[in-house]
Amino acid sequence: MLKNYFKIAVAVLKRRKFFTFISLFGISFTLTILMVLTAFIQNVIGNDYPDKKRDRSLYISTIEQKGKNAMSSGALSYYFLNKYAATLKSPEKVTIFSGANSTNTYVNNKKISIDYKYVDANYWSVLDYDFLEGKPFDARQIENGEHVAVISEGIKKQYFGDDPSVVGKYIEADNVQYRVSGVVKDVPVTTYMLYSEIYIPYTVSKTDYRNKNYGGGYVAILLGASKADLQKMHDEYEDVIKRVPPENKDFENVYSHAYGYIRSYVNTGNEENSGLTYAITAIAIFALIVMLLPTINLINVNVTRIMERSSEIGVRKAFGASSQTLVYQFIVENLILTLIGGLIGVLLSYIVIQILNSADLIPNFKMSLNFTVLVLALFICLFFGLISGVYPAWRMSKLDVVTALKEQ
Amino acid sequence: MFKHLFTLIWNKKKRNLLMLAEMLISFLVIFALFTLVVFYYTNYRKPLGFEYENVWVVSFSNPPNTNNMDSVKLMYDGLKQSLKSLPETREISFCSGNIPFYNNQWETSARYNGKNVNHVNIYTVDDNYKNLMKLQLLEGRWFERGDEIFKDRPVIINESLKKEFFGNESPIGKYLGDILGGNRTKIIGVVGSVKARGDYTMPGLGMYQQIDTGSYRWLDRMMVKVSPRADAAFEGHLYKTLASVLKNSNIEIEHLVDKRRTINYFTLVPMIVSLIVAIFLIINVALGLFGVLWYNINKRKGEIGIRRAIGASGKSVSVQLVSESMILATLSLIIGTFFAMQFPLLNVFDLPTSVYITAIVLSIIFIYLLVFICSLYPGKQAASIYPAVALHEE
Repeated sequence: MLKNYFKIAVAVLKRRKFFTFISLFGISFTLTILMVLTAFIQNVIGNDYPDKKRDRSLYISTIEQKGKNAMSSGALSYYFLNKYAATLKSPEKVTIFSGANSTNTYVNNKKISIDYKYVDANYWSVLDYDFLEGKPFDARQIENGEHVAVISEGIKKQYFGDDPSVVGKYIEADNVQYRVSGVVKDVPVTTYMLYSEIYIPYTVSKTDYRNKNYGGGYVAILLGASKADLQKMHDEYEDVIKRVPPENKDFENVYSHAYGYIRSYVNTGNEENSGLTYAITAIAIFALIVMLLPTINLINVNVTRIMERSSEIGVRKAFGASSQTLVYQFIVENLILTLIGGLIGVLLSYIVIQILNSADLIPNFKMSLNFTVLVLALFICLFFGLISGVYPAWRMSKLDVVTALKEQ
Repeated sequence: MFKHLFTLIWNKKKRNLLMLAEMLISFLVIFALFTLVVFYYTNYRKPLGFEYENVWVVSFSNPPNTNNMDSVKLMYDGLKQSLKSLPETREISFCSGNIPFYNNQWETSARYNGKNVNHVNIYTVDDNYKNLMKLQLLEGRWFERGDEIFKDRPVIINESLKKEFFGNESPIGKYLGDILGGNRTKIIGVVGSVKARGDYTMPGLGMYQQIDTGSYRWLDRMMVKVSPRADAAFEGHLYKTLASVLKNSNIEIEHLVDKRRTINYFTLVPMIVSLIVAIFLIINVALGLFGVLWYNINKRKGEIGIRRAIGASGKSVSVQLVSESMILATLSLIIGTFFAMQFPLLNVFDLPTSVYITAIVLSIIFIYLLVFICSLYPGKQAASIYPAVALHEE
């Protein structure tokens, strides 16, 4: 029976090419927009280099203090994290590192802008950077305050040119000479918590990391032994924070949380408005607007096409087909149409993504179509097909046999 | 005639309702887009208010950790002197972090005569700032050495803030209350507004206050105007000079030219993306409308045939069909305008009313044009129907 429906659907599609074109155009282009959007989001938050153990990690990225007339929020200090996060019992490992800051360096009368990040020894074991050469610096080197650095592939190219091996050489950044200890694969800037171009020990930071303020430029990752530890780590940190006294008498409450990757990625540092709500609302509104018009358009075109087929429907009804069968048939036909549109949409989005990737809008950031995106595309297609098929099908099933036949 | 056309539309209300919805939503989408475009364009036409070429911004971390601010001042003065003596430097000014084209904002509220205004950008700058940025002095004077000793701190406001409080009166010598919770301040000058957040944004409200010794506690920016000949080698030299004085700081030099490109990019990219999406949506809608109208005319061959047979000209038939769609468009536009008008009335996004009105007018014209073009060809086709053929088919 499905085979029959398929044959009918194809025949109908061939009959009015213009209408077919309109339907397919609407479906495929809408799908392209939504797929590129999901591919983008997917690659922004789904890119698991270098934090491959993301599923058992929690991120502490902000602290907020609130009083009657005062509010302060931002990243944390090394002192605070070292005192309250590094001492937690449930995580297997804790790493504390700063956000990326920029500075300049000048080689051969050329200016290079470098982003640098201060990290601790655990950073290299909690995160899985791909070392192209050399190795990370260790705890002893950090303790001694050695001027060593792990640099990214991109900065190696910019600073040293085509030099095959740079380990042991010196790179100058911020007017300080650092000995290169290793070279790692680039991290795209969209992974902003971990992105940097050179990584240096926190002990050589020009800002005093022993400073007892709560706020600072540091964040932390708590790594659990297994997924099951996530809840335990979260609860333990909440418990600890509850007992932390406010920094000074302007403030009454201290908030800081250990969240999973996505939640901390969009964290605005504001206790009342989670960034996640903002992000989801914005995406939902955009998707709604993009889908609403093509859906109405499709319904419109579908109603027109059905009316065109009134004689066929009349004959089928006269021979005893129930409304239900007809509705079912029409929805299946419509689904076939949307799936064909979906296929074109996948092709189009592949092309668009290739174009965007080759334009290199965000350095080191490559989008790709993956399984998740394709599954989502299929769902959008089915949703489209159902929504735009139900109303016209219902109109069709209500068609009066006599009028339908008479019209011919 | 209109009454008759209404009847015709009413008879097909179910079909027309869908078309109405489609036009209505297209109108709203176009309205949103035009609001954005009109807003950006009107801002783009306004002057920037300052010069950004050859201006370099030095950011340095860790202001000196001492309570003796006088010694810090001496150090900064010395730094200024040694930078001034470099061959390519023209002007040097210390300032707060809210430099134009940067994402930092420092806002305060200002009060005058019981009227409170929020979101006033407050810039803390030194005496060279005006010359470095080439700000336009409209009234009064700029800061001078020795201004910092007055009990009522002198401030300079920008043109937008002046309009907000004083209209066309001169504000010179008047007092603003409660800036940053401190004492009242005396207005000594008015400068032109600057578009601090890029070429496509509105010049905001702003006021300038002078750097005093207390500011050295947090001051971490410095602007350097250089000659057009300054290159990377000179920048390297400048960098070393800075690093030798500010030993405990992380230093970064950026160029305002680059910052301008970045901040404009962040305004334009979302705009271009929405433009592309909107164009596709509109093509989609246009094709849909065209298809449906075209089909409707085929359905109404009989009716048209009779009209032609009893003497209606081809032209009057196509006029009828085009006006039918235009009436439908009018209905949707009335509803759409009602919704669109809520934006300026409720002041949803804090945009000037004129932007909304222009956007509404443009969107109305756009939708009319769209519907007109889409119904033109089907209307023409209807005009070419021969009564004999049409009636024969019945």
